[in-house]
Amino acid sequence: MKTPLFRTILSRDKSDTLLLIFACAFVLLPHADHVAWWVNACCALLLTWRGWLTLSGRRLPPAKLLLPIAFLMMACVYLTYRTFLGREAGVTMLVLLLTCKLLEMHAKRDLFVVVFLGFFILLTSFFYQQTILAAILTLTGLCLLLTAQLSFHYTGVVPPLKQRLKFGATILALAIPLTVIAFVLFPRIQGPLWGLPGDAQSARSGLSSSMSPGNISELAQSEEIAFRVKFSQEIPAKPLLYWRGIVMDKFDGRNWSHEDRRSLYKKEQTPSWISYTGQPIVQEITLEANGQNWLFALDMPAGKTEIEASTETSAVTNLQMETRREQNTYERIKYKIKSYPNYQLEANSSREMQTQALQLPADYNPRTAAFAASLRQQYRDDVQLITAVLNHFRREAYSYTLEPPLLGKNSADEFLFDTKAGFCEHYASAFVLLMRAANIPARVVAGYQGGELNSVDGFLEIRQSAAHAWAEVWLEGKGWLRVDPTAAVAPERVQQSLNYAVQRQGLAGLMNLSPAGVSFFNQIRMQWSAANNSWNQWVLNYNQSRQISLLNSLGFQRIDWTQISLLFFGIASLVLGLMALPLMRNQPHVTALDKVYFSFCRKMEKKTAARALHEGPADYLERLRTSLPATEFENAERFLKLYASARYGKDPGPESTLIRRLKTLLAACR
Amino acid sequence: MFTSIKQKLRKIVFLEHKPESGEVFLSQRRVFTLPSKPGLVFVVLLLLMFLGATNYSLNLGFGLTYVLGGVAMINVFYAFRNLAYLHLLPGPAKAVFAGEETEFTVHLINRRTHPRYAISVGFADKGHPEKFVDIAADSRVAVQLSYPTTTRGLQAIPRIRLQTSYPLGLLRAWSTWLADSHALVYPQPETNAPPIPMSGQGKKTEVPGHAGDEDFAGVRAYQAGDSMKHLAWKQIAKVDTLLGGQLVTKQFSGGSGSDVMLDFSALPGSMDTELKLSRMTSWVLEADQRDLMFGFRLGHITYPPANGPEHCNSCLRALALYDR
Repeated sequence: MKTPLFRTILSRDKSDTLLLIFACAFVLLPHADHVAWWVNACCALLLTWRGWLTLSGRRLPPAKLLLPIAFLMMACVYLTYRTFLGREAGVTMLVLLLTCKLLEMHAKRDLFVVVFLGFFILLTSFFYQQTILAAILTLTGLCLLLTAQLSFHYTGVVPPLKQRLKFGATILALAIPLTVIAFVLFPRIQGPLWGLPGDAQSARSGLSSSMSPGNISELAQSEEIAFRVKFSQEIPAKPLLYWRGIVMDKFDGRNWSHEDRRSLYKKEQTPSWISYTGQPIVQEITLEANGQNWLFALDMPAGKTEIEASTETSAVTNLQMETRREQNTYERIKYKIKSYPNYQLEANSSREMQTQALQLPADYNPRTAAFAASLRQQYRDDVQLITAVLNHFRREAYSYTLEPPLLGKNSADEFLFDTKAGFCEHYASAFVLLMRAANIPARVVAGYQGGELNSVDGFLEIRQSAAHAWAEVWLEGKGWLRVDPTAAVAPERVQQSLNYAVQRQGLAGLMNLSPAGVSFFNQIRMQWSAANNSWNQWVLNYNQSRQISLLNSLGFQRIDWTQISLLFFGIASLVLGLMALPLMRNQPHVTALDKVYFSFCRKMEKKTAARALHEGPADYLERLRTSLPATEFENAERFLKLYASARYGKDPGPESTLIRRLKTLLAACR
Repeated sequence: MFTSIKQKLRKIVFLEHKPESGEVFLSQRRVFTLPSKPGLVFVVLLLLMFLGATNYSLNLGFGLTYVLGGVAMINVFYAFRNLAYLHLLPGPAKAVFAGEETEFTVHLINRRTHPRYAISVGFADKGHPEKFVDIAADSRVAVQLSYPTTTRGLQAIPRIRLQTSYPLGLLRAWSTWLADSHALVYPQPETNAPPIPMSGQGKKTEVPGHAGDEDFAGVRAYQAGDSMKHLAWKQIAKVDTLLGGQLVTKQFSGGSGSDVMLDFSALPGSMDTELKLSRMTSWVLEADQRDLMFGFRLGHITYPPANGPEHCNSCLRALALYDR
C-alpha cells in the first residue's frame, strides 16, 4: 500500500518550504568538502528534521529547544577552531546559522534572512574553489534560491514548479549581460582592505625550498598545473626545457636545502657574474598559487622580470640565478621573463670562492666518499670524472621509479650500492655528493622539466608531475654547467614527457590502456585544460591593473576611477534600457483568426492597395473589386466573406475548422 | 505642519491630486517603485559581498555580487511591469445606511499578453484590509472593497492604492487612483421608531382622500378569521411558510381611509434634523416592508403616494441628500 504522503498533492506552503530547504541544501553542498565532519552531520540531521516537520505538517520547534542546540553547536565550533574569527570558523558559523534559521521561520522576514544567508554562503564557497565547475554550481544554486524566493510571493494562483524555475532562470539569464558589464567596468579596488585572518591561505602544493628523498616523487603524483607558459616564438626542444627554480647547496646529511643569502640579491640589470650569448627566449608565465615566492624560468633567466598587475616593481635574480619575488604567491600571477639557453655563469670565479658548493657533512655516506676517492684516483680530469659517474649510472642496474625503497641514515650509500632504485632527487643528490667528495663544486637545482603542449590554445602546461631535480657542477673556466644524472638512467624522462615514467592515476591510468582511448581522452583533457586556462586568464586574473590596461587599449588614456564609474553607469543604463524595451513593450493580443486576416491584408497590400485602418472587411472588398482582376477577386471575396461571417456572424461554428478553411483560401489567393 | 508638507510632496511627486472619472490607464509615469525593507537589506548584503570579494580578491565573488545586483535590476522591470499598463474601471458603489460598510467594485483590466500576479488592492489610508488578486493575460478581474461609512450623503470613495512586491519582494511598485465615484449613504434608520403616522394620527394638511372599503391601505399579518378574499396573495407568494413566513392580509382603510403621508415638516420642530431624517428613514423602510402606499414630502421634494422599490429608493435618496 502506498503511503498517502506521496499520493496527495502537497499543499502550497509545504511545497514552497521544501523547495527552500532543497535550495539551501544545494547551497551548503560545496561546503561539505571542507567543514568538520560533525558540521556535516549536524546539517544533514537538521535539514532532515526540517523536511520531516514540513512534510508531516508539524510545528517548528520552540525557541527553548532551538537555543540550546545553537549554543551547543557554537561551543563545538569554538572547540574545533579555538576561535570564532578567521575564515574556517566564520564559514562554519554561517553554514550552521543557515540550517538553524530554517528551523526558526515564522514570518516573511525570516524567508529573506534565509535566502540572503544562502547568497552569502555561495560567496564563501569561492574561498575554496573558483573553477568553471564551481561557477556553474553557484549559478544553479542561485537559480534555486531565486525560485524559492519568488515562490513565496505568489498570493493566489501559483504556476507549476517547472514554470517558476523557468522564471527564476530567466531573471538570472537577463542579469548576465549586466554582470559582464559590471565585471569588466565596475571600478575595482586592489585588496586586501584589511588584514586577512591567519588561515586565509590554505596549504598549497608545489616545490619547497628543501629537498629530502621522497618529496619530489610525492609531488610527481599530482596532475595539478604548476604553471603555464606562452612563448612568443617557437617552443624550444624538450631537452632544453629545464625550468630553473630553487638552488640547494646545503646538505645536512639527509636534506638538501636552500641557503638564503640576502646579501647576494642584486637589482642590477645585467649582473657581472654571468654572460649570455645567442638569442633570448621570451616566456610569459602564468604561475598558479603555491604559497612560495619562487618564480620559474628556463635555464638561464636574464634581465628584469615583470610581474603583471602587481605593486611589486619586479622580481630579482640572485647570484645563484634563482628568481624570487617579494611576497608569496597566494594568487595566480602572470610574469614575463627572458632566458638564454647559452650562458656562462661565474666562469671567472675561482674554486676558493665555491667553498659552499664543496661542503659535506663528515660522518655520512662513507661508501660514497670512498667511491669518489677511487674515481678521483682514476680520473684526474673533472670532465672525465663526471662522464665516468654518468656512465656508472647508465651501466649498472639502476632503475628509475616513483616508489623508491625507504632509505636509512646514509641515504646516498644505500641508494648507490644497495637499492639502486630512485627518483630524480635520489640521482641528483647522490651525484652532487659524489662530485663534492671528488672535490668538484656541485649543487642541486630543483624545478620542473619538460611540459605538455596544449594543442588547443598553444600554451605549454607544466604540471606538478613535471617536478624535477638535477645537478650543477662548477668547472674552472667554464662556470656552472647543468648535469642531469636522471637523463643517464632514464633518457626518455628528459627526451619525452614524464608520462612515460609515471603511470597515470585513476581514470587516466585506465584510459591509457587503449591507444585510441589515449588520443580521444587526451583531446578532451586538452580542451578542458584550455578552457580552464582561458577562464584563469580572462576571468580569474582580471583585476584593477588589467582593467586599466584594457581601457587604455580601447583608447581611454589616463582614465581614473571616476571616469570608469561614469563609463560603467553609461553603458549599464544603455543596456538596461535596451533590455527594458522588449519587456515593457505591449504586444497586443491578436487572435488566431485575426492573424490569418492580417496576413491576407499584407498579401493584398503588396498586390494592390493597403487596407485603411478604419476599413472593415466589407468596405475593403468593395475597394478590391475595382482594383483586382476578376479571377483573383473571386478568391479574395470568398476569403473576406468567410472571415466576416466567422468574425461577426452568429454561430460561425468551431474556430479551428474556420481557420483551416481561411488558410486554404489564403493560399489560393496568389 | 509636517504632514501637510508630506501631503504636498505626495501631490507633486506622486501626482496625487484630482479625482478621475471613467477608465484609468496606469501609464509609466503613474507607477512608482521603491526598495522595500528587505530590498534595503539586500543592498547592504551586496555591499558586504563586494567588500568580501575585494578583500579576498575573489573574482567570482565579484561575479556573484554583480549577478545579484543585476537580478535586483531585472526585478525592478518585472515588478514595474506587473503593475504598469493596467486599466482600472470604477464599478458601482453599493448604497448603504450610515454606519454600514459600502462595497465599491473596481475592475482591473489586463490588456497585455502576460499574466499579473499578487497585486494588492486596497484603500491608501492605513488600517483597511487589502485584497490580493491575480489577473490572467488579456482578462479582467473585479475586486470589491469595503469602506465604512459614518454620515449620510454622498461619500466620496477614497484614494485606492494598488501595489505589488512580486516577483522577488525586494521592491514595492505602487500606484494610486482617486476614482470620481461616490457611495450614497442613507441616514441611519432610527431604532424603535414610533409607528407610521396613519391618517388621523399625523397632522393632515391635505383634504382627506376618498374613503371606502375598497381603499387598499396596506397589508398586515394574517389573523384567524380574516376573509380568504382579503389575503394578499402577491405578498404571500414571496414568503415561504415553511421558513416561518406568515400569511398576510390586505388591510383596507375603514370609513375614513386616507393615504399615508410621510412629511418631514410634520415632525416636531424641536427635534434634531438628523434624528428626524433617521425617523423618516425608518418609516420609509417600514412602509416599504408593509407595501403601503405612501406619499413623501421633504423640503421642496414631494412624491405622491406610491409603493415599490423605485419609490422607496427615491425617498431614501432624498433623505440622504437633504441639505447636502
